[in-house]
Amino acid sequence: MAPNNATVINVENVTQRFRVFQERPDSIRALFAKFFRHEILVHDFDAVKNVSFHVGQGEMVGVVGRNGSGKSTLLKMVAGVYRPSEGRVTVNGTIAPMIELGAGFHSELTGRENVLMNGLLLGYSKREMKAREQSIIEFAEIGDFIDAPVKQYSSGMYMRLAFAVAIEVDPDILLVDEILSVGDMGFQEKCFDRLRRFREAKKTILFVTHSLKDILDYCDRALLIDEGHLMLDGKPQEVTEMYKAIIDAHEQHHEVLEPAAR
Amino acid sequence: MVDLFRDTYRYRELIWALALKELKIRYKRSFLGFLWALLNPLLQMIVLAMVFSTIMRIPIPHYAVFLISVLLPWTFFSQSLSYAADSIVGNADLIKKVRVPKVVFPVAALTSNMINFLLSMISLVFIVLVLRHPFYVTWLYLPVPLLALTMITLGATFFFAALNVYFRDVSHILQIVLQIWFYITPIIYPIEMFGKYRWLFKLNPLIFALNGFRMGVYAGKLPTPQSILMSFVCGLIALIVGYSIFRRNQDQFVYYV
Repeated sequence: MAPNNATVINVENVTQRFRVFQERPDSIRALFAKFFRHEILVHDFDAVKNVSFHVGQGEMVGVVGRNGSGKSTLLKMVAGVYRPSEGRVTVNGTIAPMIELGAGFHSELTGRENVLMNGLLLGYSKREMKAREQSIIEFAEIGDFIDAPVKQYSSGMYMRLAFAVAIEVDPDILLVDEILSVGDMGFQEKCFDRLRRFREAKKTILFVTHSLKDILDYCDRALLIDEGHLMLDGKPQEVTEMYKAIIDAHEQHHEVLEPAAR
Repeated sequence: MVDLFRDTYRYRELIWALALKELKIRYKRSFLGFLWALLNPLLQMIVLAMVFSTIMRIPIPHYAVFLISVLLPWTFFSQSLSYAADSIVGNADLIKKVRVPKVVFPVAALTSNMINFLLSMISLVFIVLVLRHPFYVTWLYLPVPLLALTMITLGATFFFAALNVYFRDVSHILQIVLQIWFYITPIIYPIEMFGKYRWLFKLNPLIFALNGFRMGVYAGKLPTPQSILMSFVCGLIALIVGYSIFRRNQDQFVYYV
């Protein structure tokens, strides 16, 4: 799709396996009890199955799929949070995950302290974060609240600050997980505007969303994930159509199987 | 082991920020704030010293200094362990969303308790002055047992932090273990009390490092070379064992927290 660009994300035959305990023994007592009664039921569950794709520099790639299809797992593998059970993920460049905005925020710390903490967690130095602090505060439109504990923030302020940190640290690759669906229209537009400028700087975005409109409007390419499989890697138009088809097929399937439940 | 030092160095700013965060949260909204780090041991010491020197009548001169010189490093050890046992589970939110070396969490827990310990040493100076116990030159030697104790603590910290990921009972069991450990360690009593059974106490890996504190502050002597050597042998073993268990399991933590 982007043949001339250098590959920045390379996902090769990746499988992510989770060990699912039917009822996970989380205490020693439960472990012993169940062990002796042969009640530890474990099965392996592959959330992502043998998926391969590349993302070139400067691309914005959307990822769609039903709930539980493995989109977020995939994103977390690219972010390095999960180590794939099989296959390989290689990433060239710095990466900032926007997976659940503000995950690193602590409610008792001030906005300023949280900005620093978040940056340090992403691997930036204190000096680098201090240099970006002003632009983060400005982008988040947060004013004097920056020195108040974030527990006093409205959810909108919280989100704006978290978004601002992720984008203003200026990573090479941004991973975005369904976060732009929240927030008011004005801020959403500002976010997309910022993402556009981000892309003009030849930066890469991997973008998980449920909004087909966003895929059509912003993405160069899209991936469709269903039940852990990569169903289609193609133009936004094709992917959204196939996605709709999958959803329709599924609904009909349910109607046939579970008429009583409806 | 090399990667432990590499990660600690590379993420030193994060570790420091996490440690300060922990202290800040510990003392938040208390009127005296950080002063509690000083006052807490001071008050605790006064109570213990009163109980043991006037009520129990232990015939040891300057018992308060005798006790506190070891009680403070012990508190550093036990508090670090209590905090660190929860350090991975307690930071589940971060571990599940950001890629960050897991060692930063136990190391940060230890760092915040180290800051607390150093503050509490100021109150020890205060007590030594009030009781007119001599100030020995051997105070200068204290960084040595502190290093050995830190190694032991760090090793134990890694071990319990990893274990607690799989079994949450660990942090409860740990409290009991620490309580028993407190009484079988010569903290409130001198090891000499046990005559020919003294060797039994030397099975306790903490004793050599703690002895260094008591010798330096209370007795004004240096420990024997064997004792110093043993403190570092214990430190090294604890660190190697604890860290290798932690390291082998760290990639699994994200699935269990």
